[in-house]
Amino acid sequence: MLAVSPLRNPRNEREGEMEAFSIDESEFPDFSGGNLLDSIDFDDLFIGISDGDVLPDLEMDPELLAEFSVSASEESEVKTTPIDKSDDENSSGNQQQEIITLVTAKAEEEAVCGGDETNINPSPKETERGRKSISHSKNGKRKVKVDWTPELHRRFVQAVEHLGVDKAVPSRILELMGIDCLTRHNIASHLQKYRSHRKHLLAREAEAASWSQRRQVYAAASTGGKREHVSPWIAPTMGFPPVTPMPHFRPLHVWGHPSVDQSGMPMWPKHLTPPPHGWHPAPPPPADHPFWLPHHHSHVPTQGMPCFPPHLQPTRFPPPAVAGIPPPAMFKVEQGSVGGQMPPPGQTLPQPPSDIHPSKESVDAAIGDVLSKPWLPLPLGLKPPSVDSVVVELQRQGVPKVPPACG
Amino acid sequence: MGSESPSAQYIHMVQHLIEECIVFNMSKEECMEALEKHANIKPVITSTVWNELEKENKEFFDAYSKKREERRFDSDGETSQRQRIRDVVSESTVKNSNDDDKS
Repeated sequence: MLAVSPLRNPRNEREGEMEAFSIDESEFPDFSGGNLLDSIDFDDLFIGISDGDVLPDLEMDPELLAEFSVSASEESEVKTTPIDKSDDENSSGNQQQEIITLVTAKAEEEAVCGGDETNINPSPKETERGRKSISHSKNGKRKVKVDWTPELHRRFVQAVEHLGVDKAVPSRILELMGIDCLTRHNIASHLQKYRSHRKHLLAREAEAASWSQRRQVYAAASTGGKREHVSPWIAPTMGFPPVTPMPHFRPLHVWGHPSVDQSGMPMWPKHLTPPPHGWHPAPPPPADHPFWLPHHHSHVPTQGMPCFPPHLQPTRFPPPAVAGIPPPAMFKVEQGSVGGQMPPPGQTLPQPPSDIHPSKESVDAAIGDVLSKPWLPLPLGLKPPSVDSVVVELQRQGVPKVPPACG
Repeated sequence: MGSESPSAQYIHMVQHLIEECIVFNMSKEECMEALEKHANIKPVITSTVWNELEKENKEFFDAYSKKREERRFDSDGETSQRQRIRDVVSESTVKNSNDDDKS
Protein backbone atom coordinates (compact mmCIF):
# COMPACT_ATOMS: atom_id res chain seq x y z
CA MET A 1 0.00 0.00 0.00
CA LEU A 2 1.22 3.33 -0.81
CA ALA A 3 0.34 5.80 1.78
CA VAL A 4 2.07 8.98 1.29
CA SER A 5 -0.87 11.09 2.01
CA PRO A 6 0.81 14.03 3.62
CA LEU A 7 2.87 14.47 0.62
CA ARG A 8 0.10 13.87 -1.68
CA ASN A 9 -2.02 16.80 -0.97
CA PRO A 10 0.22 19.45 -2.25
CA ARG A 11 1.07 17.19 -5.06
CA ASN A 12 -2.42 16.81 -6.19
CA GLU A 13 -2.38 20.38 -6.84
CA ARG A 14 0.73 19.96 -8.79
CA GLU A 15 -0.56 17.00 -10.59
CA GLY A 16 -3.29 19.09 -11.87
CA GLU A 17 -0.75 21.54 -12.98
CA MET A 18 1.33 18.93 -14.58
CA GLU A 19 -1.49 17.53 -16.44
CA ALA A 20 -2.00 20.95 -17.64
CA PHE A 21 1.53 20.96 -18.89
CA SER A 22 1.12 17.98 -20.95
CA ILE A 23 -2.23 18.80 -22.19
CA ASP A 24 -2.42 22.40 -22.62
CA GLU A 25 0.37 24.68 -23.06
CA SER A 26 -1.83 27.64 -22.96
CA GLU A 27 -1.63 27.65 -19.28
CA PHE A 28 1.84 28.83 -19.50
CA PRO A 29 1.24 32.19 -20.84
CA ASP A 30 -0.53 32.97 -17.66
CA PHE A 31 2.29 31.66 -15.77
CA SER A 32 4.91 33.50 -17.53
CA GLY A 33 2.82 36.57 -18.07
CA GLY A 34 2.94 36.85 -14.37
CA ASN A 35 0.41 39.42 -13.62
CA LEU A 36 -1.65 38.12 -10.83
CA LEU A 37 0.37 35.04 -10.62
CA ASP A 38 3.54 36.86 -10.09
CA SER A 39 3.05 36.87 -6.44
CA ILE A 40 3.05 33.15 -6.36
CA ASP A 41 6.36 31.64 -6.74
CA PHE A 42 5.67 28.58 -8.74
CA ASP A 43 9.23 27.65 -8.66
CA ASP A 44 8.83 26.58 -5.16
CA LEU A 45 5.93 24.43 -6.02
CA PHE A 46 7.83 22.50 -8.51
CA ILE A 47 11.10 22.12 -6.85
CA GLY A 48 10.32 18.77 -5.53
CA ILE A 49 8.78 17.56 -8.70
CA SER A 50 11.19 18.39 -11.39
CA ASP A 51 8.94 19.56 -14.01
CA GLY A 52 9.74 17.13 -16.65
CA ASP A 53 8.59 14.39 -14.44
CA VAL A 54 5.10 13.70 -15.44
CA LEU A 55 4.43 10.66 -13.38
CA PRO A 56 2.31 12.16 -10.71
CA ASP A 57 2.74 9.43 -8.24
CA LEU A 58 6.33 10.14 -7.72
CA GLU A 59 6.43 11.53 -4.30
CA MET A 60 9.88 12.70 -4.46
CA ASP A 61 11.13 14.78 -1.68
CA PRO A 62 13.86 17.17 -2.39
CA GLU A 63 16.26 15.09 -0.42
CA LEU A 64 15.42 12.02 -2.32
CA LEU A 65 15.57 13.89 -5.51
CA ALA A 66 19.21 14.41 -4.86
CA GLU A 67 19.73 10.72 -4.62
CA PHE A 68 17.92 10.15 -7.79
CA SER A 69 19.88 12.70 -9.60
CA VAL A 70 22.98 10.93 -8.60
CA SER A 71 21.82 7.53 -9.38
CA ALA A 72 19.53 8.02 -12.24
CA SER A 73 21.88 8.72 -14.98
CA GLU A 74 19.50 8.26 -17.77
CA GLU A 75 17.10 10.58 -16.21
CA SER A 76 19.46 13.22 -15.14
CA GLU A 77 19.34 15.05 -18.35
CA VAL A 78 15.66 15.14 -18.06
CA LYS A 79 15.77 16.49 -14.62
CA THR A 80 18.46 19.00 -14.58
CA THR A 81 16.98 21.12 -17.23
CA PRO A 82 13.66 21.74 -15.69
CA ILE A 83 15.07 22.46 -12.33
CA ASP A 84 17.03 25.14 -13.76
CA LYS A 85 14.11 27.19 -14.70
CA SER A 86 15.39 30.44 -15.67
CA ASP A 87 13.21 30.85 -18.60
CA ASP A 88 9.69 29.68 -18.24
CA GLU A 89 8.70 29.99 -21.78
CA ASN A 90 11.50 27.91 -22.94
CA SER A 91 11.03 25.40 -20.33
CA SER A 92 7.47 24.83 -21.26
CA GLY A 93 8.48 23.71 -24.65
CA ASN A 94 11.27 21.65 -23.27
CA GLN A 95 9.08 20.15 -20.74
CA GLN A 96 6.72 18.76 -23.20
CA GLN A 97 9.57 17.11 -24.88
CA GLU A 98 11.12 15.97 -21.71
CA ILE A 99 7.91 14.53 -20.58
CA ILE A 100 7.91 12.31 -23.52
CA THR A 101 11.52 11.53 -23.09
CA LEU A 102 11.03 10.68 -19.52
CA VAL A 103 8.11 8.51 -20.21
CA THR A 104 10.01 6.70 -22.82
CA ALA A 105 12.99 6.36 -20.58
CA LYS A 106 10.86 5.00 -17.91
CA ALA A 107 9.20 2.68 -20.26
CA GLU A 108 12.52 1.39 -21.35
CA GLU A 109 13.61 1.00 -17.86
CA GLU A 110 10.56 -0.93 -17.07
CA ALA A 111 11.00 -3.05 -20.06
CA VAL A 112 14.52 -3.79 -19.13
CA CYS A 113 13.82 -4.73 -15.65
CA GLY A 114 10.67 -6.43 -16.64
CA GLY A 115 12.56 -8.93 -18.67
CA ASP A 116 10.04 -10.45 -20.91
CA GLU A 117 7.76 -7.54 -20.79
CA THR A 118 7.87 -5.86 -24.02
CA ASN A 119 5.09 -3.56 -23.33
CA ILE A 120 4.58 -1.56 -20.33
CA ASN A 121 1.71 -3.31 -18.82
CA PRO A 122 2.40 -5.34 -15.76
CA SER A 123 2.75 -9.02 -16.16
CA PRO A 124 0.44 -11.23 -14.25
CA LYS A 125 3.17 -12.58 -12.11
CA GLU A 126 3.54 -9.30 -10.45
CA THR A 127 0.47 -9.92 -8.51
CA GLU A 128 2.38 -12.23 -6.33
CA ARG A 129 4.83 -9.59 -5.52
CA GLY A 130 3.73 -6.08 -4.99
CA ARG A 131 0.67 -5.61 -6.98
CA LYS A 132 1.40 -2.81 -9.22
CA SER A 133 -0.46 -1.35 -12.03
CA ILE A 134 1.81 0.51 -14.24
CA SER A 135 0.41 2.22 -17.11
CA HIS A 136 2.71 4.52 -18.80
CA SER A 137 0.47 6.21 -21.16
CA LYS A 138 1.97 9.08 -22.86
CA ASN A 139 0.71 11.56 -20.43
CA GLY A 140 1.47 9.25 -17.54
CA LYS A 141 -1.49 10.21 -15.50
CA ARG A 142 -2.03 6.94 -13.75
CA LYS A 143 -0.74 6.43 -10.32
CA VAL A 144 1.54 3.62 -9.65
CA LYS A 145 0.55 1.68 -6.61
CA VAL A 146 2.96 -0.51 -4.86
CA ASP A 147 1.58 -2.97 -2.47
CA TRP A 148 4.23 -3.57 0.09
CA THR A 149 3.45 -7.09 1.05
CA PRO A 150 5.38 -8.62 3.90
CA GLU A 151 7.35 -10.61 1.41
CA LEU A 152 8.20 -7.60 -0.59
CA HIS A 153 9.06 -5.65 2.44
CA ARG A 154 11.24 -8.37 3.70
CA ARG A 155 13.24 -8.32 0.56
CA PHE A 156 13.46 -4.64 0.81
CA VAL A 157 14.78 -4.80 4.31
CA GLN A 158 17.27 -7.44 3.36
CA ALA A 159 18.54 -5.29 0.61
CA VAL A 160 18.74 -2.29 2.84
CA GLU A 161 20.58 -4.09 5.52
CA HIS A 162 22.91 -5.57 3.05
CA LEU A 163 23.85 -2.12 1.97
CA GLY A 164 23.72 -0.60 5.36
CA VAL A 165 20.73 1.38 6.39
CA ASP A 166 22.39 4.70 6.19
CA LYS A 167 24.03 4.01 2.93
CA ALA A 168 21.20 2.30 1.24
CA VAL A 169 20.50 4.04 -1.96
CA PRO A 170 17.27 3.33 -3.77
CA SER A 171 18.89 2.36 -6.99
CA ARG A 172 21.06 -0.19 -5.31
CA ILE A 173 18.19 -1.44 -3.28
CA LEU A 174 16.28 -1.88 -6.44
CA GLU A 175 19.11 -3.87 -7.89
CA LEU A 176 19.40 -6.04 -4.87
CA MET A 177 15.73 -6.67 -4.73
CA GLY A 178 15.67 -7.46 -8.35
CA ILE A 179 12.01 -6.98 -8.55
CA ASP A 180 10.60 -5.96 -11.81
CA CYS A 181 8.57 -2.93 -11.98
CA LEU A 182 9.45 -1.38 -8.75
CA THR A 183 10.59 2.06 -9.48
CA ARG A 184 13.29 3.80 -7.64
CA HIS A 185 10.74 6.23 -6.52
CA ASN A 186 8.70 3.59 -4.85
CA ILE A 187 11.76 2.36 -3.14
CA ALA A 188 12.80 5.79 -2.15
CA SER A 189 9.61 6.62 -0.46
CA HIS A 190 9.46 3.28 1.19
CA LEU A 191 12.98 3.74 2.36
CA GLN A 192 12.15 7.02 3.88
CA LYS A 193 9.33 5.54 5.80
CA TYR A 194 11.38 2.63 6.82
CA ARG A 195 14.16 4.73 8.17
CA SER A 196 11.92 6.87 10.23
CA HIS A 197 10.19 3.86 11.58
CA ARG A 198 13.44 2.26 12.47
CA LYS A 199 14.57 5.22 14.39
CA HIS A 200 11.43 5.13 16.32
CA LEU A 201 11.77 1.46 16.97
CA LEU A 202 15.34 1.64 18.05
CA ALA A 203 14.67 4.50 20.31
CA ARG A 204 12.01 2.56 22.05
CA GLU A 205 14.03 -0.54 22.34
CA ALA A 206 16.99 1.31 23.64
CA GLU A 207 14.79 2.91 26.15
CA ALA A 208 13.30 -0.33 27.23
CA ALA A 209 16.65 -1.96 27.43
CA SER A 210 18.18 0.85 29.32
CA TRP A 211 15.37 0.75 31.74
CA SER A 212 15.84 -2.91 32.36
CA GLN A 213 19.55 -2.61 32.58
CA ARG A 214 19.21 0.13 35.02
CA ARG A 215 17.09 -2.04 37.18
CA GLN A 216 19.65 -4.67 36.98
CA VAL A 217 22.30 -2.29 37.96
CA TYR A 218 20.39 -1.22 40.95
CA ALA A 219 19.75 -4.71 41.99
CA ALA A 220 23.29 -5.73 41.40
CA ALA A 221 24.51 -2.76 43.26
CA SER A 222 22.87 -4.06 46.31
CA THR A 223 24.88 -7.20 46.10
CA GLY A 224 27.97 -5.32 46.69
CA GLY A 225 29.79 -3.11 44.41
CA LYS A 226 31.55 -5.44 42.13
CA ARG A 227 30.07 -3.72 39.28
CA GLU A 228 32.40 -0.94 38.46
CA HIS A 229 31.80 -1.37 34.86
CA VAL A 230 28.18 -0.99 35.42
CA SER A 231 28.16 2.73 35.42
CA PRO A 232 28.66 3.18 31.72
CA TRP A 233 25.48 1.42 31.19
CA ILE A 234 23.55 3.86 33.16
CA ALA A 235 24.76 6.56 30.89
CA PRO A 236 22.12 7.73 28.55
CA THR A 237 24.12 6.63 25.61
CA MET A 238 23.77 3.01 26.11
CA GLY A 239 26.52 1.04 24.63
CA PHE A 240 23.91 -0.79 22.90
CA PRO A 241 24.35 -2.65 19.73
CA PRO A 242 22.36 -0.68 17.27
CA VAL A 243 21.98 -3.50 14.91
CA THR A 244 20.64 -6.15 17.13
CA PRO A 245 18.44 -4.69 19.70
CA MET A 246 17.08 -6.76 22.43
CA PRO A 247 14.79 -9.02 20.61
CA HIS A 248 12.44 -9.63 23.36
CA PHE A 249 11.60 -6.11 23.91
CA ARG A 250 9.91 -5.80 20.64
CA PRO A 251 7.49 -3.11 21.32
CA LEU A 252 6.51 -2.41 17.78
CA HIS A 253 6.42 -5.08 15.31
CA VAL A 254 4.54 -3.42 12.59
CA TRP A 255 7.15 -3.68 9.94
CA GLY A 256 8.15 -7.19 10.46
CA HIS A 257 11.64 -6.20 11.14
CA PRO A 258 13.48 -9.38 10.50
CA SER A 259 16.67 -8.69 12.26
CA VAL A 260 14.91 -8.43 15.49
CA ASP A 261 14.01 -12.02 15.44
CA GLN A 262 17.19 -13.29 14.07
CA SER A 263 19.36 -12.03 16.77
CA GLY A 264 19.02 -14.44 19.51
CA MET A 265 19.59 -13.90 23.11
CA PRO A 266 23.29 -13.90 22.98
CA MET A 267 23.58 -10.20 22.52
CA TRP A 268 22.22 -9.55 25.85
CA PRO A 269 24.52 -11.37 28.11
CA LYS A 270 27.38 -9.60 26.50
CA HIS A 271 26.19 -6.45 27.91
CA LEU A 272 25.82 -7.76 31.26
CA THR A 273 28.88 -8.55 33.10
CA PRO A 274 30.94 -11.43 32.15
CA PRO A 275 28.76 -13.26 34.48
CA PRO A 276 31.13 -14.95 36.86
CA HIS A 277 32.55 -13.38 39.90
CA GLY A 278 29.98 -12.98 42.43
CA TRP A 279 27.10 -12.65 40.14
CA HIS A 280 24.33 -14.62 41.60
CA PRO A 281 21.88 -15.18 38.87
CA ALA A 282 18.40 -15.33 40.05
CA PRO A 283 16.55 -18.45 39.29
CA PRO A 284 13.85 -18.02 36.80
CA PRO A 285 10.30 -18.36 37.80
CA PRO A 286 9.71 -22.03 37.68
CA ALA A 287 8.11 -22.05 34.36
CA ASP A 288 6.12 -25.09 35.03
CA HIS A 289 4.93 -23.97 38.34
CA PRO A 290 1.25 -23.96 37.91
CA PHE A 291 0.61 -21.20 40.31
CA TRP A 292 2.12 -17.85 40.14
CA LEU A 293 3.79 -16.82 43.30
CA PRO A 294 2.43 -13.46 44.04
CA HIS A 295 3.74 -13.00 47.43
CA HIS A 296 6.98 -13.73 49.03
CA HIS A 297 7.85 -11.85 52.03
CA SER A 298 10.99 -13.12 53.51
CA HIS A 299 13.04 -14.13 50.60
CA VAL A 300 13.65 -11.00 48.83
CA PRO A 301 16.01 -8.69 50.47
CA THR A 302 19.19 -10.46 51.25
CA GLN A 303 19.93 -12.11 48.05
CA GLY A 304 20.23 -9.08 45.97
CA MET A 305 18.82 -10.72 42.99
CA PRO A 306 19.22 -8.92 39.77
CA CYS A 307 16.10 -8.56 37.90
CA PHE A 308 17.27 -10.28 34.83
CA PRO A 309 19.08 -13.44 35.27
CA PRO A 310 21.86 -13.26 32.79
CA HIS A 311 22.00 -16.79 31.94
CA LEU A 312 25.28 -17.76 30.74
CA GLN A 313 24.23 -19.99 28.03
CA PRO A 314 22.83 -18.93 24.78
CA THR A 315 19.47 -20.09 25.67
CA ARG A 316 16.47 -18.08 25.09
CA PHE A 317 15.62 -17.30 28.49
CA PRO A 318 12.35 -15.83 29.51
CA PRO A 319 13.08 -12.19 29.80
CA PRO A 320 10.13 -11.74 27.53
CA ALA A 321 7.99 -13.15 30.16
CA VAL A 322 9.61 -11.00 32.67
CA ALA A 323 9.59 -7.93 30.59
CA GLY A 324 5.96 -8.13 30.08
CA ILE A 325 5.41 -8.03 33.76
CA PRO A 326 5.06 -4.76 35.53
CA PRO A 327 8.03 -3.95 37.64
CA PRO A 328 6.71 -4.89 41.00
CA ALA A 329 5.88 -8.30 39.80
CA MET A 330 9.17 -8.60 38.14
CA PHE A 331 10.84 -8.29 41.38
CA LYS A 332 8.93 -11.13 42.74
CA VAL A 333 9.84 -13.28 39.88
CA GLU A 334 13.15 -14.27 41.19
CA GLN A 335 11.80 -15.16 44.47
CA GLY A 336 12.73 -18.68 44.62
CA SER A 337 16.37 -18.65 45.11
CA VAL A 338 16.09 -18.53 48.77
CA GLY A 339 16.73 -22.17 48.80
CA GLY A 340 20.19 -21.13 49.62
CA GLN A 341 21.44 -22.81 46.60
CA MET A 342 23.53 -20.32 44.89
CA PRO A 343 24.95 -22.13 42.00
CA PRO A 344 28.53 -21.31 41.37
CA PRO A 345 28.65 -18.75 38.68
CA GLY A 346 29.37 -19.77 35.21
CA GLN A 347 27.35 -22.85 35.49
CA THR A 348 24.05 -24.02 34.32
CA LEU A 349 20.93 -22.23 35.06
CA PRO A 350 20.31 -21.77 38.69
CA GLN A 351 17.80 -23.82 40.53
CA PRO A 352 14.43 -22.80 41.51
CA PRO A 353 14.07 -22.65 45.18
CA SER A 354 14.96 -25.42 47.44
CA ASP A 355 15.56 -28.01 44.98
CA ILE A 356 16.36 -30.62 47.47
CA HIS A 357 16.65 -29.03 50.80
CA PRO A 358 15.20 -25.71 51.55
CA SER A 359 17.28 -23.85 53.97
CA LYS A 360 15.99 -24.25 57.42
CA GLU A 361 16.29 -20.62 58.19
CA SER A 362 14.15 -19.53 55.37
CA VAL A 363 11.52 -22.06 56.10
CA ASP A 364 11.54 -21.03 59.66
CA ALA A 365 11.27 -17.44 58.71
CA ALA A 366 8.38 -18.11 56.43
CA ILE A 367 6.56 -20.06 59.00
CA GLY A 368 7.20 -17.46 61.60
CA ASP A 369 5.72 -14.88 59.36
CA VAL A 370 2.56 -16.84 58.88
CA LEU A 371 2.14 -17.34 62.55
CA SER A 372 2.70 -13.78 63.46
CA LYS A 373 0.76 -12.22 60.65
CA PRO A 374 -2.21 -14.34 59.95
CA TRP A 375 -3.81 -11.66 57.86
CA LEU A 376 -1.24 -12.06 55.15
CA PRO A 377 -2.60 -13.47 51.95
CA LEU A 378 -1.89 -17.02 51.04
CA PRO A 379 0.96 -17.42 48.61
CA LEU A 380 -0.78 -19.94 46.46
CA GLY A 381 -4.35 -19.19 47.12
CA LEU A 382 -5.41 -22.77 46.96
CA LYS A 383 -9.02 -23.55 47.39
CA PRO A 384 -9.54 -24.17 51.07
CA PRO A 385 -11.04 -27.44 52.19
CA SER A 386 -14.25 -27.38 54.04
CA VAL A 387 -13.64 -26.91 57.69
CA ASP A 388 -16.06 -29.56 58.63
CA SER A 389 -14.51 -32.25 56.62
CA VAL A 390 -11.15 -31.41 58.08
CA VAL A 391 -12.47 -31.52 61.57
CA VAL A 392 -14.23 -34.76 60.98
CA GLU A 393 -11.20 -36.29 59.48
CA LEU A 394 -9.08 -35.13 62.34
CA GLN A 395 -11.40 -36.64 64.81
CA ARG A 396 -11.14 -39.85 62.97
CA GLN A 397 -7.43 -39.61 63.33
CA GLY A 398 -7.72 -39.13 67.01
CA VAL A 399 -7.57 -35.40 67.27
CA PRO A 400 -10.72 -34.42 69.05
CA LYS A 401 -10.18 -30.74 69.22
CA VAL A 402 -8.97 -28.19 66.77
CA PRO A 403 -6.89 -26.37 67.69
CA PRO A 404 -5.55 -28.92 69.99
CA ALA A 405 -5.13 -27.91 73.56
CA CYS A 406 -1.60 -28.98 73.71
CA GLY A 407 0.77 -28.08 70.87
CA MET B 1 -11.63 -12.63 61.96
CA GLY B 2 -14.09 -12.84 64.76
CA SER B 3 -16.66 -14.47 62.62
CA GLU B 4 -14.64 -17.57 62.06
CA SER B 5 -14.63 -20.34 64.54
CA PRO B 6 -11.33 -21.10 66.13
CA SER B 7 -11.22 -24.34 64.23
CA ALA B 8 -11.67 -22.56 60.97
CA GLN B 9 -9.03 -20.09 61.83
CA TYR B 10 -6.65 -22.74 62.85
CA ILE B 11 -7.19 -24.76 59.76
CA HIS B 12 -6.78 -21.68 57.69
CA MET B 13 -3.47 -21.06 59.36
CA VAL B 14 -2.32 -24.58 58.71
CA GLN B 15 -3.27 -24.20 55.11
CA HIS B 16 -1.27 -21.06 54.92
CA LEU B 17 1.73 -22.78 56.35
CA ILE B 18 1.39 -25.66 54.00
CA GLU B 19 1.24 -23.32 51.07
CA GLU B 20 4.44 -21.73 52.19
CA CYS B 21 6.07 -25.10 52.26
CA ILE B 22 4.85 -25.84 48.81
CA VAL B 23 6.46 -22.66 47.72
CA PHE B 24 9.63 -24.20 48.98
CA ASN B 25 8.90 -27.27 47.00
CA MET B 26 8.64 -29.40 50.03
CA SER B 27 7.00 -32.74 50.19
CA LYS B 28 4.15 -33.50 52.45
CA GLU B 29 6.43 -35.21 54.87
CA GLU B 30 8.89 -32.41 54.91
CA CYS B 31 6.07 -30.07 55.52
CA MET B 32 4.79 -32.05 58.40
CA GLU B 33 8.20 -32.05 59.92
CA ALA B 34 8.75 -28.38 59.41
CA LEU B 35 5.42 -27.36 60.82
CA GLU B 36 5.93 -29.43 63.83
CA LYS B 37 9.34 -28.11 64.38
CA HIS B 38 8.71 -24.47 63.77
CA ALA B 39 5.09 -24.04 64.55
CA ASN B 40 4.29 -26.82 66.92
CA ILE B 41 1.68 -28.31 64.74
CA LYS B 42 0.99 -31.97 65.05
CA PRO B 43 2.00 -33.83 61.97
CA VAL B 44 -1.34 -35.53 61.85
CA ILE B 45 -3.01 -32.22 61.56
CA THR B 46 -0.69 -31.08 58.86
CA SER B 47 -1.19 -34.29 57.04
CA THR B 48 -4.93 -34.10 57.26
CA VAL B 49 -5.11 -30.56 56.08
CA TRP B 50 -2.74 -31.37 53.28
CA ASN B 51 -4.91 -34.22 52.16
CA GLU B 52 -8.00 -32.14 52.23
CA LEU B 53 -6.27 -29.45 50.29
CA GLU B 54 -5.25 -31.97 47.78
CA LYS B 55 -8.80 -33.10 47.34
CA GLU B 56 -9.93 -29.59 46.72
CA ASN B 57 -7.08 -28.75 44.43
CA LYS B 58 -6.42 -31.95 42.68
CA GLU B 59 -5.00 -30.48 39.54
CA PHE B 60 -2.57 -28.35 41.37
CA PHE B 61 -1.26 -31.15 43.47
CA ASP B 62 -0.99 -33.45 40.53
CA ALA B 63 1.17 -30.98 38.76
CA TYR B 64 3.07 -30.30 41.89
CA SER B 65 3.98 -33.87 42.52
CA LYS B 66 4.86 -34.37 38.93
CA LYS B 67 7.18 -31.46 39.09
CA ARG B 68 8.74 -32.75 42.21
CA GLU B 69 9.31 -36.06 40.66
CA GLU B 70 11.06 -34.54 37.73
CA ARG B 71 13.22 -32.65 40.10
CA ARG B 72 14.23 -35.78 41.80
CA PHE B 73 15.89 -37.11 38.70
CA ASP B 74 17.32 -33.86 37.89
CA SER B 75 20.36 -33.27 39.96
CA ASP B 76 21.63 -30.19 38.23
CA GLY B 77 18.39 -28.76 37.16
CA GLU B 78 18.81 -29.89 33.64
CA THR B 79 15.26 -31.00 33.21
CA SER B 80 13.82 -27.80 34.42
CA GLN B 81 16.28 -25.89 32.37
CA ARG B 82 15.20 -27.75 29.32
CA GLN B 83 11.63 -27.17 30.20
CA ARG B 84 12.20 -23.50 30.49
CA ILE B 85 13.92 -23.40 27.19
CA ARG B 86 11.06 -25.21 25.63
CA ASP B 87 8.64 -22.80 27.14
CA VAL B 88 10.49 -19.82 25.87
CA VAL B 89 10.98 -21.24 22.45
CA SER B 90 7.38 -22.16 22.06
CA GLU B 91 6.31 -18.81 23.27
CA SER B 92 8.56 -17.10 20.80
CA THR B 93 7.45 -19.35 18.06
CA VAL B 94 3.93 -18.29 18.61
CA LYS B 95 4.96 -14.70 18.43
CA ASN B 96 7.02 -15.19 15.35
CA SER B 97 4.54 -17.06 13.36
CA ASN B 98 2.30 -14.08 13.26
CA ASP B 99 4.52 -11.57 11.75
CA ASP B 100 7.45 -13.12 10.15
CA ASP B 101 7.88 -15.21 7.19
CA LYS B 102 11.53 -15.86 7.15
CA SER B 103 11.97 -18.76 4.98
